Amino acid sequence: MDFVQNIPFFSIILSMFSGIVSSVLSGKNAKRLNTFVVFFVGVMSFVLFLYLMQKGESYIYRMGHFPAPWGNEIRAGVLEAFMAFFFCVIMLCSLIGGRKHLIKEIEENKVNLYYILVNLLLSSLLALIYTNDLFTAYVFVEINTISACGLIMIRQTGRTIEAATRYMIMSLLGSGLLLIGICLLYDLTGHLLMSYIQMEIAIIVEQGMYTVPIILAIAFISIGLAIKSALYPFHSWLPDAYGYSTVSSSAILSSLVSKGYIFLLIKIFYRIIGFAIIRDSKIIHILFAFGICGMIMGSLGAIKENDIRRMIAFSSVAQIGYIYIGIGLGTKLAMTAGIFHIFSHAASKALLFISAVGITDASNESKKFADLTGAGYRNMIAGVGFTIGSLSMVGVPLFSGFISKFMFAQSSLQVPGKMLPALIVLGISTILNTIYFMKTVIRIYTPAKESTYEKIRFFTNLSYSVSIICFGIVNVTLGLWSQPIVEMIQTGLDMLA
Amino acid sequence: MSKNILILFSIVFPIISGFVLLCYPKVKDRKKIQIYMLGVFGITGGFVSNIITGRAMTYTLYEFMESIPIYFKIDNMGRLFASLVTIAFILSGLYSFGYMEHERNEKRYFGFYLIVYGVFLGLIFSGNIVTLYIFYELLTLTSFFLVIYAQTREAVMAAMKYMFYSLCGAYMALFGIYFLYQYGTTLEFTPGGVLDPSLLQGKEEFFLFIAFFMLIGFSVKAGMFPMHGWLSSAHPVAPAPASGILSGIIVKAGVFAIIRIVFEIFGADFLKGSWVQQVWMTLSLITIFMGSMLAYKESIVKKRFAYSTVSQISYILFGLSLLEPKGFVGALFHTCVHIFVKTGLFLAIGGMIFKTGNIKVEHLDGIGKKMPFTLWCYTLLSLSLIGIPPAGGFLSKWFLAIGSLESGISVFSWIGPIILVVSALLTAGYVLPITMNGFFPKADWTYKRDELRKVMVIPILILTVLAIGIGMFPNRLVTYIGNIAEQLL
Amino acid sequence: MGPHLWTNYGEVVAMILFGIGFSNLLLKKNLIKKIIGLNIMDTAVYLFLAEKGYITGRMAPIVVNGIQDVETYINPVPSGLVLTGIVVSVSVTALMLSLTIRLYRRYHTLDLDEISTLLKKEDK
Repeated sequence: MDFVQNIPFFSIILSMFSGIVSSVLSGKNAKRLNTFVVFFVGVMSFVLFLYLMQKGESYIYRMGHFPAPWGNEIRAGVLEAFMAFFFCVIMLCSLIGGRKHLIKEIEENKVNLYYILVNLLLSSLLALIYTNDLFTAYVFVEINTISACGLIMIRQTGRTIEAATRYMIMSLLGSGLLLIGICLLYDLTGHLLMSYIQMEIAIIVEQGMYTVPIILAIAFISIGLAIKSALYPFHSWLPDAYGYSTVSSSAILSSLVSKGYIFLLIKIFYRIIGFAIIRDSKIIHILFAFGICGMIMGSLGAIKENDIRRMIAFSSVAQIGYIYIGIGLGTKLAMTAGIFHIFSHAASKALLFISAVGITDASNESKKFADLTGAGYRNMIAGVGFTIGSLSMVGVPLFSGFISKFMFAQSSLQVPGKMLPALIVLGISTILNTIYFMKTVIRIYTPAKESTYEKIRFFTNLSYSVSIICFGIVNVTLGLWSQPIVEMIQTGLDMLA
Repeated sequence: MSKNILILFSIVFPIISGFVLLCYPKVKDRKKIQIYMLGVFGITGGFVSNIITGRAMTYTLYEFMESIPIYFKIDNMGRLFASLVTIAFILSGLYSFGYMEHERNEKRYFGFYLIVYGVFLGLIFSGNIVTLYIFYELLTLTSFFLVIYAQTREAVMAAMKYMFYSLCGAYMALFGIYFLYQYGTTLEFTPGGVLDPSLLQGKEEFFLFIAFFMLIGFSVKAGMFPMHGWLSSAHPVAPAPASGILSGIIVKAGVFAIIRIVFEIFGADFLKGSWVQQVWMTLSLITIFMGSMLAYKESIVKKRFAYSTVSQISYILFGLSLLEPKGFVGALFHTCVHIFVKTGLFLAIGGMIFKTGNIKVEHLDGIGKKMPFTLWCYTLLSLSLIGIPPAGGFLSKWFLAIGSLESGISVFSWIGPIILVVSALLTAGYVLPITMNGFFPKADWTYKRDELRKVMVIPILILTVLAIGIGMFPNRLVTYIGNIAEQLL
Repeated sequence: MGPHLWTNYGEVVAMILFGIGFSNLLLKKNLIKKIIGLNIMDTAVYLFLAEKGYITGRMAPIVVNGIQDVETYINPVPSGLVLTGIVVSVSVTALMLSLTIRLYRRYHTLDLDEISTLLKKEDK
C-alpha cells in the first residue's frame, strides 16, 4: 500500500482533531490553525487526486481491525479526491473573504468556537465524501448538521437563532428519514458497507423480492437528503439561514454543506442501489419534477426579494434544482452535468455571497436594493466579483455556469420524455436569472446622486480582495477549461459504480 | 501553427489593449490615449489586412467542450466582413478623438471600443457555431458598456433593454445549438449545411421549427420586427461614434450570424419553400415598411436613424430570405453600403448635435449655414441610403428587386419590389428634409460658420466617398460576392 | 401481507411511532413538543433496529462468563448502531433545547410562528 493512500483518513482525523485543539486556543491561533489545516488538507487531497489519476482506479482503505463485511472502510476515487480538494479551496476562500465581518459580528471570546465548528464541518464533509459505510455517513451527516447550525447562529441575533432553529427542525426531519431508510436497507441486506449492500441488492432485485421496501428505502433516503440540501419544496429554512448569518457561513453553507448531502445521495445511488435500479424506479421522476419546480420557484422568489443576501439565497434554491434535474434525467451525461454544476455553483455562489457583503459594506450596511445604488464604484473589487458571479449564474459563455447549462441541455436531449420540460424550464429560468441578477448589477453600477458613503479601496481589505480574485479565477477556469474536469468527473463516476 | 496564429493575434490584441487601457489608471493625457489608440488600430489593421489578403486558413485554439473546439476559420465571407468592420471601426475611432473631447471618462469609452472591435473580429473569424455563439454573447456584454456610457437613467434603461433583448435572442439561438449538436454531422460552418439526413429522417418539421427559432433569436440583434424595440432606445443615449458602430456594425452581427446558420448550418435547400422562409420574408417586409414609417414620423434625429437602421437591415434580411443568388448578392452588397452609409450618417448628425446640442429634427434648421461641409456629406450619404444612382444604395436595391422577381415565390416576388419602392420614397421623406431645411431655413437664422474639426470631418468624408464609390465601381465587389453566393448556394 | 404484519408487529409499531414523531416534529408549533416529536422519531428507529437484531431466546452480547458460543448471543451490530444513534440524538436534542432556551429568553414564547411575527415586527 502506498503511503499516499492514508490521506483520506489523515485529512478527516486532522481536521477533527484540530477542531478539538482549537477549543483551548485563542481566537487568533484558532484561525491560524484552521487556515493551515484547510490549506494542508487541500494540498493533500490534490496529491491524492494526482495519485489516483495516475493509478486509474479507486481503492478501499480499511479502518480499525475488523475485515470487510464487519469493519469500517474508507474509499477514495478520483471524484472524491477532487471534490475534497475543491471544497477546501472554496472553504479557504470563503473564510478569508469573510474574515473582517467575522471579527465584527461575533463576540471576541467566541471566535475560536467558530473555527471549531468550521473544522468539524470540514471533517464531516470529508467523511461524507470518502466513507464507504452507510451508518458512518449518517453519523457524519448529523455532525455536519450540528456544525452548520452552529455556523448559522454564531452571529447572535434573534433572526439567526430563529433561522438556526428552523434549519435544525428541517434537517432533523431529513436525517430522521435518512436514518430510517438506512435501517431499512440494513434490514434488507444485512450489511452497512456500500459495496456489500450493492451486491445483496442486486441479488434481491434479480429475484424480484421486496420491491416495495426497496423503493421505500430509496424514497426515504432521497427525500431525507433532498430536505437537507434544500430542494424545492423543502427549502423554507434556506433564505433565513443564508440571509442573516455571517457571510463566511452563508458562503460555506450554500456552496459546500448542501453539496455534501447531494454528493452523498449520488454516492448512494451509484454505490448502494446501483444506477440501473435507480433509473427504473420512479424516484428519479419525482426528483426531476421537484428540480424543475425548484428552478422556477427559486428564481421567482429571488425576483420578489428586496434584500440582496436573501435574493442570492433564493437563487440557491433554483440552482439546487438544476443539480437535481441532472440526477433526475438519469443518464450518465446528465449526472456529469449535475456534478459539474455542483462545482460551478459552489464557485459562483460563494463568490456572490462574498462580493454581496462588500457591496453592502459600501452602502452603510444596508441590504436593501435602493441603498445599493452605485456601490459598484465605491467598492470596485466587490462589484467586479458580483458581476462575474452573476454572469456565471445567468450562463454567459466563458463562465462556469454556461458549461453546466449546456451540458444539462445536451443530456436532456437523450431523454425523450423529459427533453421538452427540461429545455423549456432551462430557458425560463435563464431569463428569470437574467432579470434578477442583471437588475442587481445595473443597480450597483448606476451612479448614485450623492456619495455620502465611504469608498472601499482594493488594499484596505486585502484578504477580501484576494479571495474575490481567487473565486473569479476558479469561475473562469471552470468556464474555459471545463473539458479536463468533465472527463475527470466521468472517470470518477465510472469508478463509483 | 506558423501564420495561422495571426488570427488569434488579431482578435486578442485589441481586447488586451482595451483592458490595458481600462486598467492602467495613470493616463490622463488625451494625446497619449490617442497615440495609443492609433497604434492599436494600426497593428490590428495590419494583422487583419495580412489575414484577408492571405490564403484560407484555420486555427484551433483548444477543445472547449467535448468535441467542440474554439475554432477560427478564414473564408471569403469572413474576409469581406473583416475588412468592412475594420474600416468602420478605425474611421469612427478617429472621429471619436474629436467627439469625445467634451466627455468625461473617455478612457473607459476607448477601452471598451477596442474590446468590442476585438470581439467582433472574433465573431467574424469563428469557424463553428459554438465559437460564434460565444463571441456573440461577448459582443452583447461588451457593447453594453458603450450604450450605458452616459450613465444617465435613460442610458441605463436603454442598456438594460438592449441586454435583455440580446440575451433572450441568444438563448433562443442556443436552444437550437443543443439540437444541432445532436443531429448535425459537425458544428463547423460548411457551405450547404451540416445536418445529417439519416438522423433527420422524419424530424424535418421539428427542425424547421428549430431553424425558425435560431433565426428569430439572431435577428433580435438585427432588429427585425417584432424584436426591434431595443434599437430606438439604445441609439439616442450612446455617444455618436458608438451609435455609428451600433447601427453600422453591431446589428450586422445578427445578419452575419443568420447568414452562417442559414447557409452554412441548415443549408439553403433545407429552408427553401418551407413555411420558415415565408414567415421570414413576411417579417422582413413588414419591418422594411414599418421601420421607414416609424422613421418618417420620428422627430428625434438619432431615433429617426435608428428606425432607419431597422428598416435597412431588413432589406438585407429580405435579400437573404430569398435564398437565391441574386438576392444574396443584393443583401451582401447592401450590407457593405449600409455599413458605410449608416456609420457616416451617424457621425455626421452626431457632429451636428455635438455642435448645436439640439436633438430634434426641427431644431437643425439652418445647419447648412453653420457646417456646410458636414451637411454636404450628409446629403450624399442620404442619397445613397435612398438609392439614387449612381450611389451604392441603388445597386443593392436593384439586385434585391431583381432577385425577388426572379425567385418566383408567388406573392412575394412582386410584393417585395413594391415595398422596396415605397420604402425608398419614405426614406427620401425622412432624410431629405434635414438637408433642405438645413440649407434653406425658413426664418432668419443666426448661425455662424463653425465647421467640425478635421479629425472628425475626414472620417465622414472617407465614408461618403466609399458609399458613393461603391456604387460607381461595383464590379469587383459584385463578382466577389457572386463567388461567395456560388459557394453557399 | 397480513400475516407478515402480524409476525413483525414490533417493526409495525416502530413505523407507527416514527410517523407520529415525524408529524409532531413537522407540524407542532410549540418547540418543546417538536423536540418530543424528535425523540419519539429517533426512539422509533432504535426500536426498529433492536427488533431487527434480536433473535428469540438469545442473550445480549455482553461478555459475562468468558466468551461462549456464537449461537448464544443476538446480533451485536444493531445494538451498536442503536448506541451510536442514541449518542447522536442526545446531542441533537441538547442543541435543540439550548436553541429553545435562547429563543424563549428573547421572545418569551415557545411558538415558532409567533416568534417569526415578532421578528418581522422587529425589522420594521
